[in-house]
Amino acid sequence: MIEVLLICILALCLYTVESKDLLFGTIALSAISLLSALLFYLLKAPDVAITEAAVGAGVSTVVYVWAIKATERKDIS
Amino acid sequence: MNAQAKRAPVAAAVLSILVAAAILWPLVAFDGPWPRELGAYLESRGLEESGARNLVSAIYLGYRAYDTLGETIVLLVAVSGAIGMIAAAGTTLAIDYSYPAKDGAVDGGEAEKPIRRKAKKNRTDLIEVVTGKLGPVVLLFGFYVMLFGHVSPGGGFQGGVVVASGIVFLALGSKGKPGGGLSSASTLAKLEAAGFAALIAGGFLGLASGTGFFAPPLAGTSPLGFIIALNTVIGLKVGAGIGFLCVAMLGEADYD
Repeated sequence: MIEVLLICILALCLYTVESKDLLFGTIALSAISLLSALLFYLLKAPDVAITEAAVGAGVSTVVYVWAIKATERKDIS
Repeated sequence: MNAQAKRAPVAAAVLSILVAAAILWPLVAFDGPWPRELGAYLESRGLEESGARNLVSAIYLGYRAYDTLGETIVLLVAVSGAIGMIAAAGTTLAIDYSYPAKDGAVDGGEAEKPIRRKAKKNRTDLIEVVTGKLGPVVLLFGFYVMLFGHVSPGGGFQGGVVVASGIVFLALGSKGKPGGGLSSASTLAKLEAAGFAALIAGGFLGLASGTGFFAPPLAGTSPLGFIIALNTVIGLKVGAGIGFLCVAMLGEADYD
């Protein structure tokens, strides 16, 4: 179970780095946080799991999405 | 220039691997015995001495509350820096801006036409209703996690970020007139400042009673009340700080 979660997290990390659309990357980051929270819970660290879920999947996603919305959605180069 | 730009990622990757190796090397190179005395002591006596039932809270507020001060300072500096950058940019972020009419003036054609994005359109009825109804529930859960940190998993930081999520929900869900009540930027800024002041005052309380900086005052009695009080103060400070940051990014702060 833990190995499966870690592989999923790794795959999502690669997708986040490589994805062309920033919004897709942000959603993948949020999914990484959710999986990490599950992982922390399985490893018997519920305190860390709550923090990871609230900060990673909640607040930081909101901040990223707002930052993306405030910029142009256009590739310059 | 182009070749240099191509070499930069490789150099960055090599540098990161070198730094990671330098940091991880001591872990691999020396296999001395891992220090276990303190962990064993805390595991056997921590709950009993602090009166808490959640060992994590018992340790981070009953034994090393001084470190917690450092963590809150890190958060305070991060929020201040972000707010400073937003304020220095001189603009609110979520405004409905239009582009200068220069279509085709740069290297030509329809491809250069900017996609107009209307920030006001982000607020659909769906989001407003769901976040508005969910906000108080999330807020309540956050306060539960914060106040029961000594009994169940959670504590000041965890509850604080959940409270911040609730504040963001309230700010998103307030119809028409945003920034009222708890989700107004000035209220949150005052709340964060008051929370930090109370935290430092709590630290000096132990100094005044002779037990030490950030040690539970009233030596001899259970520090449970001190843990609950610190959890509450930290939760308010963290929740207000992160909530303030998000509300400011939403573009409704007045920065004063």
